[in-house]
Amino acid sequence: MWMVNSRFSSGARRLAFACFALLVAALFLLPGQIQGLLQYLDGPVGHIVRVPLEAVASIDAGIADRWQQYMALQGVREENQQLRKDMESLRGQNSQLRESAAATERLTALLQFKEQALPAMVAAQVIGRDATNRYRAIILNKGESDGIKPDMGVITPAGVVGRVVKTTGATSVVLLVTDPNNAIAGLIQRTRDEGIVEGTQQGLAQLKYIPLLSTLRDGDRVVTSGLVGGFPRGLALGTITHIDKQEGALFQSAELMPEVDVGRVEEVLVIQASYGQSTKAMGGMELPGKPSP
Amino acid sequence: MKFFFYLTLVLLLVPLQTTVLPHVSVWNIKPDLGLVTAVFIGLFAGEMEGLLLGLAIGWALSLFSAGELWLSLLTYGGVGLLAGFLGRQVSQVTSISLGVGLLLVSVASGLLAMANFKNIDMSHMWGIVESIVLPQACFDGAVGAGLYWLLSQRFDVTRLRAE
Repeated sequence: MWMVNSRFSSGARRLAFACFALLVAALFLLPGQIQGLLQYLDGPVGHIVRVPLEAVASIDAGIADRWQQYMALQGVREENQQLRKDMESLRGQNSQLRESAAATERLTALLQFKEQALPAMVAAQVIGRDATNRYRAIILNKGESDGIKPDMGVITPAGVVGRVVKTTGATSVVLLVTDPNNAIAGLIQRTRDEGIVEGTQQGLAQLKYIPLLSTLRDGDRVVTSGLVGGFPRGLALGTITHIDKQEGALFQSAELMPEVDVGRVEEVLVIQASYGQSTKAMGGMELPGKPSP
Repeated sequence: MKFFFYLTLVLLLVPLQTTVLPHVSVWNIKPDLGLVTAVFIGLFAGEMEGLLLGLAIGWALSLFSAGELWLSLLTYGGVGLLAGFLGRQVSQVTSISLGVGLLLVSVASGLLAMANFKNIDMSHMWGIVESIVLPQACFDGAVGAGLYWLLSQRFDVTRLRAE
């Protein structure tokens, strides 16, 4: 390798370095203003970028569907037989649950509990994954124009998926429950002990800051506590698979298997308003099965 | 004409990086095509275009990532500028040297991003370096080297760079 810089003008180079130095200085001296200015442009840019993004995502989904249909045919007979068996057992469980539900309804009426409104939600499709490898995040096809804002909770019927961290006009980025940078207030359903659920490097989750006297055990279910963040109380977060209790530590922690397989999630619900605020939210979709007033 | 080429490049890069690449990821690690593109533009079009396109790529990709905007702007813009500067200084770039350069740049940008993580201890830090930063740097280097090799097979890359 040898030097050949003689024939290129140094003007453009100096200008480029000056621009970069100016940018670095501006980002360090006025971080809020610069980022605010760029975020002001995020909305329209998001709308433009959404077009190729959704086009590619739909082609991708089409190919994936065809492939899955082909793969689904493999061993479908055995699976069908297994499903029939499962259905029989679930029918029995269903009738028991109906009885329990009816009893609960009667008791609720008796206690004259004030009926709480379920949160307003908006349905969204997953159209991509985080652009970098450093965060576990998904991209949704709904954004600010659909009423989605940062810090709103994202769920599926199975449980919690994550939290909205960034929005443009037409898309939003959701930090998954398995990301180590995420923190959601959790509650052990059986013992009622509270803690903080964070992601791990292995793609699982852990419940931290559990009181030492807690009698938690493997298999306990962890749900949202509803104290902070965009989640109402009682949404499934995961199941405890391993307890870590170190001598001399102030708290114990537990490893969780997340309730939702976040690697395969395709459609989600974004919680626009928590309990009691749903009537204020505009354009929200109501959760199926909402009790009539 | 060049502007529309760059605009199309940025617009295509976003769906490619967020939607298509996750399918070809190895151990959940995908190459950073934004970084590779910024390096190539800097190398072939000079510092100024490398910087501007790097900033545009950084901004567009940060809209679809949970990461910080300033970090993305600094990384991609800086890499485009650096590639342009080195491209002017070094006359004979080979696919191997480009791959090694990209690997080093990718490691540096990964470490910079990691330093921005909050509440992270040394054991976790090493875990991230081992499981994300280094594999991604290898991936980036390999993709860059492969792309440069393909280009050099079809075009006279020395002339392309001089133009």
